[in-house]
Amino acid sequence: MNPEQLKQYFYDLVHPDLPNEWEVEEVMEPLLDLDPAVRSAVLEQVQVIWPVSNSLCYSYLHQAIPALACIKAETLGRWASEALEIYERSGLKDAQQFMINVQSHFACRMDGQGQRFKEIAGRMEPYLRGLARRDLRLESSKTVFTDTRTVFLPEELSLFQGEGKNFLLYKLTTSFQWAFIALDTFLVTAEPNEINPSAKGKLWLHEYLAATEFPSLLATLYFLFETVRARGFLERELPGLMRDSSRLFASLDKKSPCKSGVERIVSQTRNLISGQLTEDESIEDEQIRTLLHSKAVALDSLRLAEQISHQADEGWESIVQEEPLFFQGRMELTRVEAARMVLRREQEAGFVEALATFFLSLPTAGNDTTDEEAETEDGAKGVSEADAALLFEEQSSEGKKEESSKSPDFTRLENELELSEELQELAEEIKNDLGQVPDQYISAAMGKAGQAQAGMGTPESDDGSGSSAPVTYDEWDYRRAGFRRNWCVVTEKQLEPIQSNFIRDTLEQYKGLRIRLRRQFEMMQTRERFVRRQRDGDEIDLDALVESLADTAAGFPPSDRLFIRLKRDERDIAVMFLVDMSNSTRGWVGTAIKQSLILLSEAMETLGDRYGIYGFSGMRRLRCELFPIKGLDEPYNDEVRTRISSIAPREYTRMAPALRHIISIMKKVDAGVRLIITLSDGKPEDYDNYNGEYAIEDTRHALIEARMAGIHPFCITIDQHAHEYMPRYGEVNYIFINDVAKLPARIPEIYRVLTS
Amino acid sequence: MNSIPLDEHLIRREPYYHASGEEIPLAVAAWKAGMPLLLKGPTGCGKTRFMQYLAWKLARPLITVSCHDDLSTSDLVGRYLIRAGEAVWSDGPLTMAVRAGAICYLDEVVEARKDTTVVIHPLADDRRELPIEKLGELLIAPDSFMLAVSYNPGYQSILKDLKPSTRQRFIGLSFDYPAPEQEAEIVVQEGGVAAEIAHTLVKLALMTRSLKDSGLVEGASTRLLIQAGKLMIAGISSRTACTVAITAPLTDDPELTGAIDEMIFSLF
Ligand SMILES: Nc1ncnc2c1ncn2[C@@H]1O[C@H](COP(=O)(O)OP(=O)(O)O)[C@@H](O)[C@H]1O
Ligand SMILES: [Mg+2]
Repeated sequence: MNPEQLKQYFYDLVHPDLPNEWEVEEVMEPLLDLDPAVRSAVLEQVQVIWPVSNSLCYSYLHQAIPALACIKAETLGRWASEALEIYERSGLKDAQQFMINVQSHFACRMDGQGQRFKEIAGRMEPYLRGLARRDLRLESSKTVFTDTRTVFLPEELSLFQGEGKNFLLYKLTTSFQWAFIALDTFLVTAEPNEINPSAKGKLWLHEYLAATEFPSLLATLYFLFETVRARGFLERELPGLMRDSSRLFASLDKKSPCKSGVERIVSQTRNLISGQLTEDESIEDEQIRTLLHSKAVALDSLRLAEQISHQADEGWESIVQEEPLFFQGRMELTRVEAARMVLRREQEAGFVEALATFFLSLPTAGNDTTDEEAETEDGAKGVSEADAALLFEEQSSEGKKEESSKSPDFTRLENELELSEELQELAEEIKNDLGQVPDQYISAAMGKAGQAQAGMGTPESDDGSGSSAPVTYDEWDYRRAGFRRNWCVVTEKQLEPIQSNFIRDTLEQYKGLRIRLRRQFEMMQTRERFVRRQRDGDEIDLDALVESLADTAAGFPPSDRLFIRLKRDERDIAVMFLVDMSNSTRGWVGTAIKQSLILLSEAMETLGDRYGIYGFSGMRRLRCELFPIKGLDEPYNDEVRTRISSIAPREYTRMAPALRHIISIMKKVDAGVRLIITLSDGKPEDYDNYNGEYAIEDTRHALIEARMAGIHPFCITIDQHAHEYMPRYGEVNYIFINDVAKLPARIPEIYRVLTS
Repeated sequence: MNSIPLDEHLIRREPYYHASGEEIPLAVAAWKAGMPLLLKGPTGCGKTRFMQYLAWKLARPLITVSCHDDLSTSDLVGRYLIRAGEAVWSDGPLTMAVRAGAICYLDEVVEARKDTTVVIHPLADDRRELPIEKLGELLIAPDSFMLAVSYNPGYQSILKDLKPSTRQRFIGLSFDYPAPEQEAEIVVQEGGVAAEIAHTLVKLALMTRSLKDSGLVEGASTRLLIQAGKLMIAGISSRTACTVAITAPLTDDPELTGAIDEMIFSLF
């Protein structure tokens, strides 16, 4: 190839883009001297990288030749794809850095020594959740730490030869981080003492440390002693792990030469943690060893740290600067604090919502009266607004009364109004955190309830192309235990088709899964069984024959059902999938839903069950929209595939009217088993104050309507808080999927289990 | 008719049963009032054992039928057989139990087809009768007869869900896994392992039971713990025993399998 040809070749690769000529020349020139096979290997990646980032592609071309000094041409693809991953995660700079440091960041790992986070996360996350028995998450990060909700582990580990040990180190680290969470290492509160006499009330660790003379030294010592405690804890709780890990400990932390003073204590403590201090070997301060016992608490570590920090001399800065033990990681109190605030906000939102709903459920003259239909239906039911105001007034004056005497005690409120169990629990959690339920939570709830009492949305017309004649449906109002007649207007609309590679990419990405699903679904289809007592069949049913002879002998007319027949189970099933297209599905949730639909459809094709797909969204009760994606008897063809890939987030999640519309469709379908499976990512809600209890109850009622029509409803959700409301949909009628990435595998599986 | 003594179904030795609540007095009261029982709960949490205990306590024979989708009405009620050229009627287990005033326990009743389970309807309501068409006989159940059915309300095929008309005839008793202390004691008693190992097994069970959101349909049951324990007593190493008796029956998913195995390796 001459320079001109090479340049042209590049232009062909990036067509229709027309990059600067001088830039192209600059990166192409060095490639001229390469062996043609190697050169084409280098250029092969251009098409992969260019569309994602032109700059990254240039960097790649710049770095390719130096990289080839330590990696083979065949590994260029893997190198490039890792660079892309980094680019997508942390941007151009990091990706470029990764490429420049090919030797240390990539090449050494290619000898098959390292272990990557990606490879262990699938196993370690459920492991962590099992240990903690709650929903902790695992994420990758530059350093090891936990904020008590997520455990952060490094992107890769290559400290040891061979995967076994690196994996074990991941596991040990995960377990230690869990120990810190279980032991409340980061959530300890301390009474103020002579170190910090000014403050009032209990202090969180970071507040406490901040007010001391040497916060970083104290923090380092405290965390070190907590790690002793964590080790003791793990020895009791996970003895197998600690036994397995002994071979790691030795190589992780080298015994340092004897020092003196606090430094000596620190190095001894580190040896104690990594199991290199034998039982009889002495330790400067024997109190450290007592931290291993089950009775030790976080405050013991703090007191000891204080005591020892007083003995500190000039050497203390080196103690603080020393790298923590690997599995110990760092103490990131600001992250802990941030996580605590997130939790607090979640609690507040949950509480305000629940309390607002509670206020709304009190007998009042409903908001409904603003609408004509409702007015006639509701009539004089309920209590006047003045009554409600009085109730609220009592409420707040009581709050004030108590404020003057003591801190307001929420139990009063609980007794007065008989709060629901859910609300009481939430209040309890908040009290644990804040000591009391803040007044503004209550006023926020009242405000919210008040807003909900204002009128519903105004009519809105939308006669976009391709919409069907609107149909109206009733909506269930649990407060009056009756329907709001003709409340919602449902329109079927056509999706705007979008051309993309989505289908192809999905099929490519899930090749293995697809094959597996196909096999599983084929097995369902060909499930055969012997049916006894048939009028005709391939074999004689001996039991039936004997019985009929006996019946004859006893003077009964003999049965003529004397044969066994091999019967292929007729799967007379019709199923409709109803997919949430609300705005909250934007991003990976929406993508996962679409991928799931494709994999499901592919699998369904082998099965022959009749199935349809509808998307739903909308805004306000007068504009509930349903998007037909696949009709029940429509073949799964390119049009359907295009519609699936055109699914895009739209507006709100008012699921009930969509359900009612699907029920009316399914009612007309003649099938042995009829199913509606919904796929959503959160609570039902709409713009016109359709939310909380009201929306949940309406949805629940729509599900009951389905069952009354002889249709089995089943809800699949990806909502973290599903457990707070889904059980009300009926325990066997829903499932919550935590891991969005698993969705494409899980949904076909659920369908399989549901219908076999 | 044949009135075979139901000796073999009588439970003479007190079965080991660890009550977790009011279930025993409740069931005794239901028996006295002639009401049928519906036991629900995950597999291996002691439903069958509870029935054995109840039968012993009431000194009634216990006739257990494991339901499956091939079970026919004649399998329950009875049929004619030919013996020496003559037709001889033979009672099915349900008829046998009604005649003898025994306890009839239909295990995993949802597995049976609906046309099979209709025969229990008149037995379950206050008529307490069993029509035997082929004999032209209508059996009235004696006071001591009791019908009990069990099912697992967990993650299962909705196609097999119990019909409300069937459900509403029963007194419901909910079973769940026992509290950790109790469960460990059961594992000691039944599996024969030392208390410390039993506690560790229960810890493992609790860990697996919290994986529902991670995709595990059901966590390890008491039965699985006991089985693992028995393997250990038979000389299998604890890790292997747990892997084969707990991980393998729970899941085929490679990641969940990996996660549960790692829990085992951490605990033992
Ligand atoms: N409460 C209990 N008391 C004594 N043993 C129990 C108890 N719960 C479970 N077990 C043990 O677990 C095993 C499985 O219980 P089983 O009654 O067969 O479960 P189920 O019928 O609910 O599937 C029993 O054989 C018994 O050894
Ligand atoms: Mg939504």
